[in-house]
Amino acid sequence: MNAIILSAILGVIMMFSGIWVNNKATLRWIALAGLLVLLISNIAEMYGYRIWNVNVHNMLYFDRFGLLFNSVAIGSTFIFVALSGSDINRVGKYAAEYYTLIFFVLTGITIISVYTSLLMLFLGIEIMSIPLYILTGSDKRNLKSNEASLKYFLMGAFSTGLMLMGITLIYGATGSFSIEVLNNPAIAQGVSFLEITGMLFLLVSMAFKVSAAPFHFWTPDVYDGAPGVFTSFMATVVKAAAFIAFVKLFDARMSYSSAVVDWKMLLCILIIATLLIGNITAVFQQSVKRMLAYSSIAQAGFMLFAVFSMNEMAKEGIIFYAVSYSLATIGVFAVLLKMKDFTFEGYNGLAKSQPVLAFANTVFLLSLAGIPLTAGFFAKYFMLASVIQTGHYLWMVIVAVLFAAVSVYYYFRVIQAMYFKTGEGETENIHPGFKTGLIILTVIIILLGVAPNLIINFLYF
Amino acid sequence: MQLLNILLDASATSNASNYFPIGLQLFFAIGFVVTMMFVTHFLGPKRKTADKLENFASGIETHGDARQPMAIKYFLVAILFVLFDVEVIFFYPYAVNFRSLGWEGFGAVLMFVAFFLAGFIYIIKKGALTWED
Amino acid sequence: MPIQYYIGLAATLFCIGITGVLIRRNAIIIFMCIELMLNAVNLLLVAFSKMHYATAFIRNANTTAGSDAQLFVFFIMVVAAAEVSVGLAIIVMMYRNTHSVDVNYLNRLKN
Repeated sequence: MNAIILSAILGVIMMFSGIWVNNKATLRWIALAGLLVLLISNIAEMYGYRIWNVNVHNMLYFDRFGLLFNSVAIGSTFIFVALSGSDINRVGKYAAEYYTLIFFVLTGITIISVYTSLLMLFLGIEIMSIPLYILTGSDKRNLKSNEASLKYFLMGAFSTGLMLMGITLIYGATGSFSIEVLNNPAIAQGVSFLEITGMLFLLVSMAFKVSAAPFHFWTPDVYDGAPGVFTSFMATVVKAAAFIAFVKLFDARMSYSSAVVDWKMLLCILIIATLLIGNITAVFQQSVKRMLAYSSIAQAGFMLFAVFSMNEMAKEGIIFYAVSYSLATIGVFAVLLKMKDFTFEGYNGLAKSQPVLAFANTVFLLSLAGIPLTAGFFAKYFMLASVIQTGHYLWMVIVAVLFAAVSVYYYFRVIQAMYFKTGEGETENIHPGFKTGLIILTVIIILLGVAPNLIINFLYF
Repeated sequence: MQLLNILLDASATSNASNYFPIGLQLFFAIGFVVTMMFVTHFLGPKRKTADKLENFASGIETHGDARQPMAIKYFLVAILFVLFDVEVIFFYPYAVNFRSLGWEGFGAVLMFVAFFLAGFIYIIKKGALTWED
Repeated sequence: MPIQYYIGLAATLFCIGITGVLIRRNAIIIFMCIELMLNAVNLLLVAFSKMHYATAFIRNANTTAGSDAQLFVFFIMVVAAAEVSVGLAIIVMMYRNTHSVDVNYLNRLKN
């Protein structure tokens, strides 16, 4: 509860500080301070300290899983603002509003990680996505940004319509919006046609939100057209939050209603299609930004394994995947935003001109590819191990490993360009603080790659 | 007399005869419009001149198309109106239940209104409602 | 009236909305079709609310079953209004730059 109310209040504070504070650098410091307060209050709630005692009427349930994810999301946002804050200020003249919208997105995220009522799921997803439509179109004079924001908006609103239809049909069948009722095996025995249709609608709309194939087609355009900083935010924190909502929604659902619809089979098709389309299309991209958009689809394929297997390991895994994927992608985007040219050629010779950036970028890309000693390795390991634990569709693990090998190709193209090709490697002016931030992020990723329990232990202690 | 009974019967349960008054009203409404249109068409004198086919704009000569781009301020005010208008919807359930919700419900509504006012003050400070530049 | 009629009506409206989103090219009409989908959902929610109330009323005269669905409808309306304002703002921003709201021209990102 702390994080939900505080993030909304901090959003309002940010909104008004835009009226009274004219210096963009000051605004960034205010945002960073706000995020720090938010993070501390959320960690305090994990250990039982609540600022507000609100009766939520069983619509929210603050368990360790949701609160830990909140901390991860807020922490990732903090790192994101710390690294890319100067790029946020460069997007346009409304810097305070951008930070405001980021706080409002966080309000949505903190709701959908702890919801137990489908009403809260709907509200959280909407509170999360409406500010994102604005952020996507924040580069007002750029036609690409306009187009991306219109596409994102139309697709988002359409999938919201599908989700609402699903929720309504489930309500018609069960008479309740609570997911505890949904997940209760005693009620689920006699699942009706209405309820199955509703679940299918929900599955499709969540697949839209997490950009799983065949509902991914908006993702590359939106990620490419949006201002780079906000792509970084959308592809990391927001996407991970959508996955948490997905996992909570289908928590126990998938296992027993298999008599009518084979949910595992459906998810299996989704996962294989997502991995295939994401990885194969990423190979052929010329722009690094667009390549990262497709790679985020491919990573979504891996995260879908958590929805597929639905056991304790999957829950640990999805949190760890969220951390490692968010941190690495934020790092890669932070470096990308400093480049003058977003194509692969733009990275030529970066190791000569900016060795620190090149090294940090290498670590981030290795983590995304899932090479051992980086956090990405354990993230992928947890996902695949959770599938092996279920004992179904084991051939999917082999397919996933093969696609991970394909992903190594396009991540290494960047590394190859940085180290083994000659070029200028032109960048914007690099602040020493930015380099320090990158090094700290690199250390975190390697540390998590050696000791993943640093995050997972928070689930239990 | 029986018709009047149906119209006055408030406790009627759900059956087709319930919709009879509505059907009757629809029939009369449509019938009145159709009759009036035909009657005026046949009774009225007709003198067609070019001036009469012009749009009537209070005697001022018309010029140009009505569908011109409007100032963006109209749009802004309209959008803000839609937002603030619809938010009032939450007062309806509170108004129905405000006794049973007690002080806790009052606090919640107060918080809602506070966020609401914050938004309102923000748009005034930003100058979204100032009409002159 | 049986609930099937309401389900049929809502499903019809919803399908008209989906078809409109898929085949129309004007951004504003697509947007109106999305609103139609949301309103079909509202209608169905209210119908289900009354249905659940009627079944619970037989067992207990003081039941409040079904009131949550009507609250859900309020939330959908408010969120739809917020979406309308953001969506129309985006469409107007588009129009100022391209002087068109036809989604067929949205192909700058396909390289």
